[in-house]
Amino acid sequence: MSSTTVESTPSRRGADAQRSGNGSSSGPGPSFLRVLNSEFIKFRTLLSTLILLGSTVVVMVGFGALSAWGTGQFSEAAARDPEVGARLAAQGGDIAVSVPTSGIAFAQLILGSLGVLLMSSEFTTGMARSTFAAVPKRIPAFAAKLVVVVVTSFVVTAASTLAAGFVSVPILDNYGLGLDLGSPQSVKLLLVNSIYVAAVAAIGMALGTLIRNSAGGIMSLVGLFFVAPIAFQLIPGDFFVEARKYLPGNTVDPLTAVEHLPDTLEAWQAALVLGAWVVIPVLLAAVLLKRRDV
Amino acid sequence: MIEARGLTKVYGDKTAVAGVNFTVEAGRVTGFLGPNGAGKSTTMRMIMGLDRPTSGSVTVNGSPLTGHAAPLRDVGALLDAKAVHTSRSAYNHLLAMAATHSIPKKRVHEVIEMTGLAEVARKKVGGFSLGMGQRLGIAAALLGDPQTVILDEPVNGLDPEGVVWVRNLVKYLASEGRTVFLSSHLMSEMAVTADHLIVIGRGRIIADAPIQEIITGKGQGRTRVRTDQPDRLMQLLAGTGVSVEVQERELLEVTGLDPRQIATAALENHVMIYELTPLQASLEEAYMELTKDEVEYHSLITTGAVPVEAGGN
Repeated sequence: MSSTTVESTPSRRGADAQRSGNGSSSGPGPSFLRVLNSEFIKFRTLLSTLILLGSTVVVMVGFGALSAWGTGQFSEAAARDPEVGARLAAQGGDIAVSVPTSGIAFAQLILGSLGVLLMSSEFTTGMARSTFAAVPKRIPAFAAKLVVVVVTSFVVTAASTLAAGFVSVPILDNYGLGLDLGSPQSVKLLLVNSIYVAAVAAIGMALGTLIRNSAGGIMSLVGLFFVAPIAFQLIPGDFFVEARKYLPGNTVDPLTAVEHLPDTLEAWQAALVLGAWVVIPVLLAAVLLKRRDV
Repeated sequence: MIEARGLTKVYGDKTAVAGVNFTVEAGRVTGFLGPNGAGKSTTMRMIMGLDRPTSGSVTVNGSPLTGHAAPLRDVGALLDAKAVHTSRSAYNHLLAMAATHSIPKKRVHEVIEMTGLAEVARKKVGGFSLGMGQRLGIAAALLGDPQTVILDEPVNGLDPEGVVWVRNLVKYLASEGRTVFLSSHLMSEMAVTADHLIVIGRGRIIADAPIQEIITGKGQGRTRVRTDQPDRLMQLLAGTGVSVEVQERELLEVTGLDPRQIATAALENHVMIYELTPLQASLEEAYMELTKDEVEYHSLITTGAVPVEAGGN
């Protein structure tokens, strides 16, 4: 920190620095790909991000293994339970196929929180002032961060579902249950759940942008995905039975079911509802980010 | 060149910046001086496009920052020493900033060397002292080798060596023909750094002039005169716009006449004077004079009495 000199100031532009005209620039500006690269550097250079991603893999694989063991133990008894029987029937009677995605509730919580944190921390640390001074149009930085969040969440969920599958197959095999990771239903579960978690992460990022506070954003996310479904179930009345179907957390089952489940949306409706849950908060967040002071 | 026209920012019922007009020219260090809460930082955030003006506009080289094709290469700013994610290293912070404009890694290393951060560049910013945070902020501001440099309170928290370094740096940048806009609430710092001064108080520009003019302008041409005939000299000098204050038995302080006029009057009337000293108000005095009605938070030093009203108007 000592001996800092001005004379050695390396400057690529000397006495001819004086330029005029309307913001004439002497080099490349923030194109979308450059901003995307910047956001990815920001993403990978935070230890907390890497820890959350690693936790997702651990939780998904751990719950997959636990679920494989539990499913094996439970398979015979469960067959006699009419309610579980109905679910089994909806999944083509295949109890093992949903084992790899059994940790998905936790993956959505972790990666949804990551989505919140990546944006809220910009504001809580003051980083946003640097980010938006470099990209004053703001929307490219928001979009780039969204791409990083969505793609990473999708890839990490898909990869950890696959890893959970590989771990589960030999365990299920012990109980005489077969799991074909390449079956259409396995692939469907993997893709739909990965898209779903990516959607939750996008909703999280929108909440982080709107609320600008880590605790508030994560609490809102938990409220939407964990508290609201339970609350809606407890409140009597037809309205809440109907409304419950439209919660984002209840769009996965209709999308993955082999046959239509009672009290759920049709698959195409569920896809639209989930899409709306992503698009509306994200657009609102983008508009307000553009308009509000940083 | 930075131009503010009718620039206004209102937060709720509080007007932070009240329709200011000013121009910051290239090739000199322009100081932005004002007491805390005067609107300096708000003005700078509006220049950077971070805060939206309630009305009016501010442009850099003719267009608002959102209209610049490569903002980081045109305008570099230190707005807040902690505009950095605390868990990221200084190097990675600068690398991410540089990536937005395809600024090469070489330049990142250059600004790290330049600001003396080489030893701590790989450490988390959260552990930085205020001074190191300021150096990182200055490194980020210089990253794009910008034509316009905006520094909000850059010497805050710097050690004396760092203060001198910033002083020389901004002078050097201005000598290269860049626009340098530097805020401070310390008049003493401005006196030795700035060429031109914009003084703001309660969101209003109260002075916009070369620093020399601000110092002498408020000094009102006071002259200290020692003579063995003070009474006679006082009679000779008396006139409209002239005031003479008796400081000691043979010491007068004359306002409203320049030393030459005093000397002429004394010579013609054979009054001997043995000291004739033009007095300059310090910038500090000038600043106090300028801002005495505009300070937001007055400190009341009372001896026993109960303070009645702090804010003034």
